[in-house]
Amino acid sequence: MIVLKSSDGETFEIEEAVALQSQTIAHMVEDDCVENGIPLANVTGEILAKIIEYCKKHVEGGGGSEEELKIWDKEFIENIDQSTLFNLILAANYLNIKTLLDLTCQRVADMIS
Amino acid sequence: MSQIFSFSGENDFYRRGVTYPNPKDVNLLLSLGSLVDCYFPPCKRSRVVAPSRYSAFEEKPVSIDVLPEECLFEIFRRLSGSQERTACASVSRHWLTLVTSIRQSELDVVPSSKTEDGEDCEGCLSRSLDGKKATDVRLAAIAVGTASRGGLGKLSIRGNDFTSKVSDLGLRSIARSCPSLRSVSLWNLSTITDNGLSEIAEGCSQLEKLDLNRCSMITDKGLVAIAKSCPNLTELTLETCLKIGDEGLQAVARSCPKLKSVSIKNCPLVRDQGIAALLSNTTSSLGKLKLQLLNVTDVSLAVVGHYGLSVTDLVLSGLSHVTEKGFWVMGNGVGLQKLNSLTITACQGVTDMGLESVGKGCPNMKMAVVSKCPLLSDNGLVSFAKASLSLESLQLVECHRVTQFGFFGSLLNCGTKLKAFSLVNCLGVRDLTTGLPASSHCIALRSLSIRNCPGFGDANLAALGKLCPLLEDVELYGLKGITESGFLHLLQNSLVKVNFSGCSNLTDRVISAISARNGWTLEVLNVDGCTQISDASLVAIAANCQILSDLDISKCAISDCGIQALASSDNLKLQILSMAGCSLVTDKSLPAIVRLGSTLLGLNLQQCRSISFSTVDFLVEQLYKCDILS
Repeated sequence: MIVLKSSDGETFEIEEAVALQSQTIAHMVEDDCVENGIPLANVTGEILAKIIEYCKKHVEGGGGSEEELKIWDKEFIENIDQSTLFNLILAANYLNIKTLLDLTCQRVADMIS
Repeated sequence: MSQIFSFSGENDFYRRGVTYPNPKDVNLLLSLGSLVDCYFPPCKRSRVVAPSRYSAFEEKPVSIDVLPEECLFEIFRRLSGSQERTACASVSRHWLTLVTSIRQSELDVVPSSKTEDGEDCEGCLSRSLDGKKATDVRLAAIAVGTASRGGLGKLSIRGNDFTSKVSDLGLRSIARSCPSLRSVSLWNLSTITDNGLSEIAEGCSQLEKLDLNRCSMITDKGLVAIAKSCPNLTELTLETCLKIGDEGLQAVARSCPKLKSVSIKNCPLVRDQGIAALLSNTTSSLGKLKLQLLNVTDVSLAVVGHYGLSVTDLVLSGLSHVTEKGFWVMGNGVGLQKLNSLTITACQGVTDMGLESVGKGCPNMKMAVVSKCPLLSDNGLVSFAKASLSLESLQLVECHRVTQFGFFGSLLNCGTKLKAFSLVNCLGVRDLTTGLPASSHCIALRSLSIRNCPGFGDANLAALGKLCPLLEDVELYGLKGITESGFLHLLQNSLVKVNFSGCSNLTDRVISAISARNGWTLEVLNVDGCTQISDASLVAIAANCQILSDLDISKCAISDCGIQALASSDNLKLQILSMAGCSLVTDKSLPAIVRLGSTLLGLNLQQCRSISFSTVDFLVEQLYKCDILS
């Protein structure tokens, strides 16, 4: 289990498989600096919660078919407001979660259309 | 106090907003200074936030501005259409730069080459930026704007030399957003470097024409990049690019098999190696070659002579290191079989032997211009004319060693195809003192032009009249030595175009005679600056000339009577009439000009001091089909 600490002091305990979707965290795990939890100074608790929700759903296999996953993604991204969206982009960029970054940026691109 | 501030409502002095119907009254009040005991705040309108497309962003605590460039990049590359891309590009310079820096390969949705109307035109647009308008921002705007409307095909940027605001960033925008760019022309841009050119090379692989002029920071590296990535290059023009040398040319030669036209001027680092590489690698395609003001030697000319199998147009100008040997070898190397047009200017190596050798070595040469070659003498000219069997047009400019013997000798000895001969500014040509053999004719010559050769006189014209019976097109420009009798020798010809500008001894008698003899053939008559020509000539022209369409009587001593004579002619249908500087023509000619104007397409009334502005205005209005200069 890996502990993530947000910038406002909240802690989240998640399985390694879930956390490893973030390349940044994956590198930290490799470098073995996860004893006291990983501090994420750039991410607030609210955003981190959303990210963890996303990652849990997208853990290997996804727990459902591809179609279901797409529907879930669509719902996930459509139900958030703009500031959350931008914060998610920032966080996905920082944590280096490619699929989340794709999803969020595509959402903004679609919004501009 | 309240009586002074008599507005409706409160007695309160302190107010926001406009309190006086006339804002000028405020000054009056404020000027009272300490006498007035009230506080009057500055009248400021409340700020209105204009509703923008992204107004939602501005009100929220977190806006899109927090996103770093890489995130914005990710968003922009996923934009689905050109309209959206244009909209984003219009937000700010920062966004403009970002949007245009996305490569075509990085875009999620590849833009179609069809325009909004569905027409298929890739790279059909052409843009040009000059002077102050040449900036990076405009280039980026062009990049975005043309992408959805068919794509940019041709781009031309003319900078201001030292103050140019175009840099590699601008070129990068164009390169990444305009893959269909085919022709690039960069002049006077000292701020662009090899990086910019490399970007263009990478992004615009369909490039066909490259023109660099005074781009002092571009080196071989840039040219090599273009060569590697643009195999379709057909035209290369380099002028005053001080850092481009042989390496660049060698790369172009190796990688661009379709190269058709090369012009290199004033690039001091270009030497024989570069030219040799160019010619030996593009033997089958290179048609036009221009080498001007270069440090090349005889070796280059030898290579041209041997490998220029496809060369049709050759210009050699200002090659100061080339000697006689170079021209001799060029002529003797049997490569220039297809050479059609040769122009040699200011080359010391052009001697009699050199030129003769070139004449022999280029059997299909039709046009030759030899200019500013002080060593060429009569013998050389004659042997050149003899050797060039296909020659149709020969022009000699400022070759002062050539005399009248050379001139007539070449006419007598030239091939049967010589149709046009032109002498410009050849100070060595004087009048013949001896006669020519009686039976000699130069049967093919149709067009003769003698400009500013002060020694040319009547005897020469007499000889020409006999020698060239089929002469149609005569231009005697600025020949003040010719008198009336000289001109009259041309009467045995059927003249179509006659230009006697600046021949101050031309008289009415000549014009009358010529128009009488050539009434059915004369189409163009130019007597600009012939101050002795008067109304009598115009009367003769009006009576005789049936097909005259272009008449230039500028600075002649003509007056209203002459113009009226022209107008009263039934057969004359002039299309172009010039009477610039004829100060004796007055407003009285107006009806005549209007009558002439029924067929006129061009009318020149510049410096006609006796014609008033109102007359000119009237003419402009009446003769709407005619282009009037005044």
